Amino acid sequence: MRVLVVEDEPTLAAQLAEALRGAAYAVDVAHNGVDGHYAGAVETYDAVVLDLGLPQMDGITVLKKWRAAGRGMPVLILTARDAWHEKVAGIDAGADDYLTKPFHMEELLARLRALIRRAGGHASAELVCGPVVLDTRNSRVSVDGRALALTSHEYRVLDYLMHHPGKLVSRSDLIEHIYAQDFDRDSNTVEVFIARLRKKLPPGTIETVRGLGYRLAAPP
Amino acid sequence: MRLPATLRDSLRVRLLAGTLVWILASLLAAGWGLSGLFRHHVTEQFHAELRTHLDQLTASLALDAQGRPALSTPLSDPRLSRPYSGLYWQIDRAGALHAGTGVLRSRSLWDDVIAVPADVLVDGEIHRHRLTGPQGARLGAIERIVFTENRPDLPLRLIVAADERLMHEPVERFNDALWLALAVLGLGLVIAAVVQVVVGLAPLRRLRRELAAVRNGGAQQLADDFPVEIRPLVEEFNAVLVQNAEIVARARTQAGNLAHALKTPLTVLANAADVGEGELARLVRDQVDAARKQVDYHLTRARAAAATRFPAARTPVHAAAEGLVRVMRRIHAERGLEVVVAPMPETLTFRGEEQDLQEMLGNLLDNACKWATHRVTVQAADAAGKLVVTIDDDGKGIPAAQREAMLRRGVRADEQAPGSGLGLAIVDDLARLYGGCIELADSPLGGLRAVLTLSAA
Repeated sequence: MRVLVVEDEPTLAAQLAEALRGAAYAVDVAHNGVDGHYAGAVETYDAVVLDLGLPQMDGITVLKKWRAAGRGMPVLILTARDAWHEKVAGIDAGADDYLTKPFHMEELLARLRALIRRAGGHASAELVCGPVVLDTRNSRVSVDGRALALTSHEYRVLDYLMHHPGKLVSRSDLIEHIYAQDFDRDSNTVEVFIARLRKKLPPGTIETVRGLGYRLAAPP
Repeated sequence: MRLPATLRDSLRVRLLAGTLVWILASLLAAGWGLSGLFRHHVTEQFHAELRTHLDQLTASLALDAQGRPALSTPLSDPRLSRPYSGLYWQIDRAGALHAGTGVLRSRSLWDDVIAVPADVLVDGEIHRHRLTGPQGARLGAIERIVFTENRPDLPLRLIVAADERLMHEPVERFNDALWLALAVLGLGLVIAAVVQVVVGLAPLRRLRRELAAVRNGGAQQLADDFPVEIRPLVEEFNAVLVQNAEIVARARTQAGNLAHALKTPLTVLANAADVGEGELARLVRDQVDAARKQVDYHLTRARAAAATRFPAARTPVHAAAEGLVRVMRRIHAERGLEVVVAPMPETLTFRGEEQDLQEMLGNLLDNACKWATHRVTVQAADAAGKLVVTIDDDGKGIPAAQREAMLRRGVRADEQAPGSGLGLAIVDDLARLYGGCIELADSPLGGLRAVLTLSAA
């Protein structure tokens, strides 16, 4: 899952990025409204953490522009002014949730997980596909109750597939959602991650649709 | 003359008193002048008439063979033939011994004789006298001496007299009419002056009404269509209002800026402490939490205190409630909460700043949504000039014993629930600043009922 953080305070932005990476997200950071808007408008993100008090273009404007352009990714806004009119303005501009500064990082992660889950139409924090269970709360995967050791990239690939069970996921989709913007993207590495995952998961969990991409097999 | 203080302080009394004194003085002067002029004119006419009769008498005078005076032709004025008509003539022989003998007299004198005082007249002179005539009437008289051709040794005094009533009566009639006319004119002027003052001061009354409207929140500014004389005052006052609004807005922005400036570093600190372990990390976490509560509490208070001193604003309740309910539905979307705003009149307004109403309703709704199982309802109504907002939830409620503590600063019913725990305390504080109150009760839905009472507009 790929997340965009738009926050002008460098230390907080770094802390957010670190915490999100720790939770196995691919993270891009923008430090002002204009860069943030551009990133959100051209790249594909599964969620955005958007500060409202931004230089150059304020958060509400950024959000309105995204929504006007049809960008529907879940957006969590951060507001320092603990004022309800700002929350109303944020929600009316198209935000999905808000957090008032200062917040606890666990709460931010929990809200973000919930937003991504909601966007995919999942009610539970645990994603289940046959014997495979992915707990989004602690980024752990188990098969028949046995914990599975995955690298961060392997987890992201499986996480994305499990958020879209039974759907065809192209290789470029996967690249979009598992890599941060500044990462050297090599489509061959996706095949490497898929191959590694297949070894760790029960056979037949990930189907290859020749020439198109991959599909997570629906539970038997 | 000093007017009592209350009257001296009234513009209306000042204007009216000045005008009335002036009207009275002008009318008296005009009356006195006109009356004098008319009296002079009538007096002149009276004497001119006597003179005409004297000339006629002179012309028709003749002496008979015995040297007795006689009239060759009778005088034309019929009053001279009617007894005691008030117009008389008399002919005396000249000389002190003959004064008042009346050798020949008008018929109107009947058998009376005008007692003419002795007088020495030169030929051609005309003398005026005031005499007592028949029946004690005051007479105005003129006389001349005439030397006839045939008996120049026997000069004659020719006297024509008229009752002064003939002169006074028209003057009295004129005066009566004059004073009546002046009284009517004076009354008209006074009415005009009163109307003028009332109409002229009308903009001041309107100014007072508009100021009252600004004070109780009915208007933001005074209208700009006042008369030129008052407009500078109105413009100055509007400038003060704008300045006031700017001060409030600036205080609000500064409070927001301060919040922003403080809270981002607090977030950074809190996050750093969350990652760390040990005594220092725990200390930082606790202190950041305490600092955040203080910042929230005092900033909200400062902002609201600035707003309640400038209560020009009116906020429609429905729009504010709907906006907040949209927020609640979105952020609690997962739980399938039913948040319902009961129908309320669109005209229902809160007398105060929109942000403060949102702050109160937002915190109450947030609290209700946190604890509700399925359903939260918002009702608002105007009850005898008070705006009463009732928020119910179907959660587990708060025991009556703990409700009072919930309204006190910083007390949290459940430390596990997200939020600063200041929500209800802030609502209580804001409501008090606006002269209202918040009460907690059992909800018919099963959970907590919060009743917010504020002044409606």
